[in-house]
Amino acid sequence: MRLLKRWFRGVLAGLDAVLNRVYGWERNPIHQAGTVAVAMLLVLLGTGLYLVLYYRVGAPAASVARLAADPWLGGWMRTLHRYGSDLFVIAAALHAFRMFAQDRSWGPRTLAWVSGLSLFAAGLICAWTGFVMAWDSFGERLALEGARLFDVLPLFSEPLSRIFAGDGPVPSAFFFVNLFIHIALPLGLGIGLWLHVSRLARPALLPPRRLLWAIIGLLTLASVLLPAPLGPAADPLRLAPSTPTDLVVAWWLPLSERLPAGAAWSAGLLLSLLALLVPRFTRHPREARWAPSTVDPRLCTGCNQCPQDCPWEAITMVGRDDGSPTLVAAVNASRCVSCGICAGSCAPMGVGPTGRTGRDQLTGLREVTLPALARGGAVPTIAICCAQAPAAHRAALQARGAHVHLVSCIGNLHSSVIEFFLRSGAPGVMVGGCPPRDCSSREGPRWLRQRLLNGREAELQSRVDRRRVGLATLAPGALAETVAAFERFTRQLPAAPVPEPESNPDLDTECEPVPLEEAAK
Amino acid sequence: MNLTRLLAAAAASAAGLGLLAYTSAASLAYHPEDGARLRLSWSARPERIEKCRQLSAEEQAQREEHMRQRVECEGGFASYALRVEVDDRSIGETVFRGGGLRHDRPMHVLRDFPVPAGEHRVRVRVTRRETTDDDAAAFAQPVVPDADTGLFAGRAQREAAERARSARAAIPPALLLDTTFRFTPRQVALVSFDAERRVLVLHGRGGETAGRPR
Repeated sequence: MRLLKRWFRGVLAGLDAVLNRVYGWERNPIHQAGTVAVAMLLVLLGTGLYLVLYYRVGAPAASVARLAADPWLGGWMRTLHRYGSDLFVIAAALHAFRMFAQDRSWGPRTLAWVSGLSLFAAGLICAWTGFVMAWDSFGERLALEGARLFDVLPLFSEPLSRIFAGDGPVPSAFFFVNLFIHIALPLGLGIGLWLHVSRLARPALLPPRRLLWAIIGLLTLASVLLPAPLGPAADPLRLAPSTPTDLVVAWWLPLSERLPAGAAWSAGLLLSLLALLVPRFTRHPREARWAPSTVDPRLCTGCNQCPQDCPWEAITMVGRDDGSPTLVAAVNASRCVSCGICAGSCAPMGVGPTGRTGRDQLTGLREVTLPALARGGAVPTIAICCAQAPAAHRAALQARGAHVHLVSCIGNLHSSVIEFFLRSGAPGVMVGGCPPRDCSSREGPRWLRQRLLNGREAELQSRVDRRRVGLATLAPGALAETVAAFERFTRQLPAAPVPEPESNPDLDTECEPVPLEEAAK
Repeated sequence: MNLTRLLAAAAASAAGLGLLAYTSAASLAYHPEDGARLRLSWSARPERIEKCRQLSAEEQAQREEHMRQRVECEGGFASYALRVEVDDRSIGETVFRGGGLRHDRPMHVLRDFPVPAGEHRVRVRVTRRETTDDDAAAFAQPVVPDADTGLFAGRAQREAAERARSARAAIPPALLLDTTFRFTPRQVALVSFDAERRVLVLHGRGGETAGRPR
């Protein structure tokens, strides 16, 4: 599994690198794959509402053919509906691929993984019924394959396949049930989507507006210029040599048709079971890198910042049991993904995963990093990098004289670490994180930026010279940008005099306890 | 976004959409051969094969009034052998029986046989596998209209009508369709069971050919 994950990560990095180069990491569509899938659901809903007005269960093929022939609206609406469903499947698959590759498919994320798979499966079934609705040669092919698969199950008294044998017209009740499933499933998708994001704080459901409209605009353009062909109307007494097949949603069809029905079911169930068991196969012991956050109640001031910053709603404020008038943070370990963002949000350094709290970060600097740097002479420029950032970028920064200091996520970085480096004689500190929509901790780059530049709680102290602090995005495929950002940063450094290094800086990072009444506001 | 990147993004988007449009309607082979098919498709009830006996007056007297059937039958449902020949060569042989654990539900037949295009002699034969001399029909008694009185008046007629209905609903013990048919390329010729005429019928584009009970 580890090997597979590594291979997937390599493929994903390659894909990201290409798309970052082409579109730039701000607009990389596969960073937004999950939200693109949701956007496509909305497109499907909108176009589907229009199409269903013209659909006739009594004359399915004729009504769809009439829609397809309509040059004004019906034709491209039908194609947009189809391309939208294709893009939904592609985006959902890419999203799952990314979650798996980035180790985001287990523990507290199990619910999201399982509900995501269910959404994907429901989407495929919905697409299946949608193609059957059109009742062209491809719809007939899908219906026959579905009937063949269901006929081996002891569900129906009469084989479903006989409906399509040709000794009578296909009953409109069949098309009615098919239409009902096609419409009812998206309602279920809504519930599934709610479950999917139920453990997230501030879930991003849609891509950034410009990307969203660009995707919808391009799909509409493609629908007008490249209308999806409709096969000849289904005829059970005529063998079609080929069918115009949507391989995006029916990728399983060529394989399934070659297998006996029992084997096709077995393969499908095995594949589904393996996918559902991914959280079990990929889980880690909840220790070291994966240890959940803990709270030191002696340090917690009850400021209510960590629950606000936690992207997983894993922290709540509860009353203290020692009679003290302030609240104290409590971490729900079953929801904590060990991202460490709470550690970066806590000014008095009272919360975080073991070994990664603000205090642990400073201790590491004091005892290991700075002594090692001091042995090499003057402290160089520091590049604090996310451990998930591409190795080539870290190597390039190192090659340009920077000391690379890794953190599990830049959202985990306590702002005091930056100050500590600077007060220890570093001429500058550049923090490099992942593209904001590709952060495996979800909100690391966003919170760090606000802590450094916008005074968000646990902010970089005002006494720190901002000219010596830089921010960069280390996106795969954008090595030149990373190097340019670093060189730009180092070029502007000599303008500001390097302060005298302090031998053992004492950081005043603790804030005043917040009274209970104030926290309750 | 500079011009080069803009052009690259436009080209990549166009390529992506082109790929999407292609995979969305890729032509996938389904029945690439030019042959035809002979399809057998019907649903019918199997016959009930029963051993029947006439109850004596004493036996009937021992039963509650509403249980006094004159003929008591025990048995099961028939199974059938299907044989399909094209140009006197067997292309399929199978046995089918009623659905359900007791095989008392209708039999559903759906089989496809590839046949080369052209004119062929088609012979479809359905034969009951079980043989019996003393089935329920042999015990059909002349209905005595006034045999039952009071609450059970007319029972004899109802029993007789039910037996006749069941016998009519069941497939005959033997069926044969023997005809010559011209299969056009990619045509599916359908053989079904006409429950009204109780014969096998071959449906082609130009009409239908009925077989006969043997």
